Amino acid sequence: MNDRIVELRKRRSKSLYLRISGLLVLLGIAWAWTTSSPLMGRLSAERRWTNFQNFVQELVPSPVRRTGDWSDAFPWAWDLLTDEGLQALLTTLGIATAAIILSGVFVLPMLTLASRELSRRRPFGLWSGKSSRVMQAVRVVVGPVTRFAFVLARAVPEYILAFLLISLLGLQVWPLVLALAIHNFGILGRLWGEVVENAEPSSAQQALISGQGRTGAFATRILPESFNRFLIYFLYRWETCVKDATVLGMLGLLTLGKLIALSKGFFWDQMFFYVLLAASVIVIGDLFSTFLRRRLR
Amino acid sequence: MPDLDPGKERASLERGGLALPSGEGRYGRRRWVVLGVGIVFLICAWRLGLTPAGLIPPDATRWERAGEFFKAALDPAMDYEDENVPDDADPIWIKGLKGVGLTLKFAFGAMSMAVPFALLLGFLGSSSWWPEPCGKGLKAVLRTLYLSCRFLMSLLRSIHELIWALLILSAIGVSPLAGMVALALPFSGTLGKVFSELIDEEARDAAAALKAIGHRPVQTFLCGTLPAALPNLITYSFYRFECALRSSAVLGFVGIETIGLYIELSHEEFYYREVWTYLYLLLALIVLVDFWGAGIRKRLNSDAGGCRA
Repeated sequence: MNDRIVELRKRRSKSLYLRISGLLVLLGIAWAWTTSSPLMGRLSAERRWTNFQNFVQELVPSPVRRTGDWSDAFPWAWDLLTDEGLQALLTTLGIATAAIILSGVFVLPMLTLASRELSRRRPFGLWSGKSSRVMQAVRVVVGPVTRFAFVLARAVPEYILAFLLISLLGLQVWPLVLALAIHNFGILGRLWGEVVENAEPSSAQQALISGQGRTGAFATRILPESFNRFLIYFLYRWETCVKDATVLGMLGLLTLGKLIALSKGFFWDQMFFYVLLAASVIVIGDLFSTFLRRRLR
Repeated sequence: MPDLDPGKERASLERGGLALPSGEGRYGRRRWVVLGVGIVFLICAWRLGLTPAGLIPPDATRWERAGEFFKAALDPAMDYEDENVPDDADPIWIKGLKGVGLTLKFAFGAMSMAVPFALLLGFLGSSSWWPEPCGKGLKAVLRTLYLSCRFLMSLLRSIHELIWALLILSAIGVSPLAGMVALALPFSGTLGKVFSELIDEEARDAAAALKAIGHRPVQTFLCGTLPAALPNLITYSFYRFECALRSSAVLGFVGIETIGLYIELSHEEFYYREVWTYLYLLLALIVLVDFWGAGIRKRLNSDAGGCRA
């Protein structure tokens, strides 16, 4: 019995790549913990503790701090909500929604080009008409180039993109929408690309055999057949967009992020209220999209 | 493949090459979804005042600045544009590499805290390991644990890491640990949620076999369910590591020393060529890690990376 186990152990699949990756990760972690000094910053422990206590006290809504009665917090919260909170909330949702739709619209036509099977000269290994030398060469590179474009688009953090775009386009909504749209263009490209790769090929193959082009096969076969999967990823990214849009406002636009950034340092209680408001929006968006995704599965 | 309408008969007819008039049944609801998305976009655009005119720089100075900015892309700085930098300072690419290293370091530190924490949360937030014949009292305890873990995870991940950073930095001051914790908290929420789903969805054959020969629930979980789910757990963790890198770069904007801080400072002084040097280094790092992750995914034969909330 023991021999059998030893033999099984010997025969298990081993990959040098994975082992080196594991080693690198361990080294990275060790490096992070040993070289980040002073780990706790330069403040003394007592100083940190008093800072922390002050901070926690400041989180209590100001009317409550004055009177000690928690029922005073409700009119205060209501004022904050109706004054700017609600409008900021709607702007946040609007930015997220516009951005994700925009990136979806631009990703869809790219998917035929990005698909490993469809972008080749012989899609699914099928004959698809004569093509010139140039087109053949184009067919070789178009897939990897499109996929790399997706990688690049998702590599830049949306916050940095928005920061740079604001300095070029001025302080308005477009830079935030564009930043989110570009970043999610890359991510949807990858997620939807995976849907296309995993789609059942037979019906697309038939479309190609019966004379449809690549775009036709994608638009009339693969897209409708995997429609729900496309929607699921779309909703998932929308959810993430809402979260990111809140924070992008910290760059100065009227979303929750701006209210948070403005009240920081002076009105911690207000800031905390806005943080909780943002969190509740995200939870609601989360529940909504989880519900829809469950139904679509 | 799941569909809104089964309409299998129609599908098979169509696959057979029969053209059917569309408009009802199979394609009907999809059209409404697409139309609805279009309308929602128009409403958003109208509410936000998104007009095509907003896409071009509004005045002459901005035009000039945009031109300079994109020209700088072709000519990233090899030397500091700032003349006040002392001569014995590191050359800019060394400084950039250091910034990239710090970014990497925060991501590693954060993930090393987030993954163990998320494993614990994911374990408590999944139900597949619960003992089958289960007493009422025990069940109540497990259920409370389950629900409170779920709640904790959703609280953790519904506050963005930048806001966590703001809160933590203002509470205990700027320090490397504060930055790592700020990243680790929301990430363990997300990781934990996905871990619990991966664990619950994992095929239970091995676990059932272990249970049948008399293993305890926790043993079954550790030797049956967990190993089966492991490849997916690893690829998903690695995907989150890629996200952590981006977030860690952004932490620079709230005052933690990563490449984001350098980008912000150079940008403030209009040193666009320096900005591009840092941007290129950041891009190189993230693209490299992206390919690394793709290699891991391929070797573990798992598709869990990125496909989940």
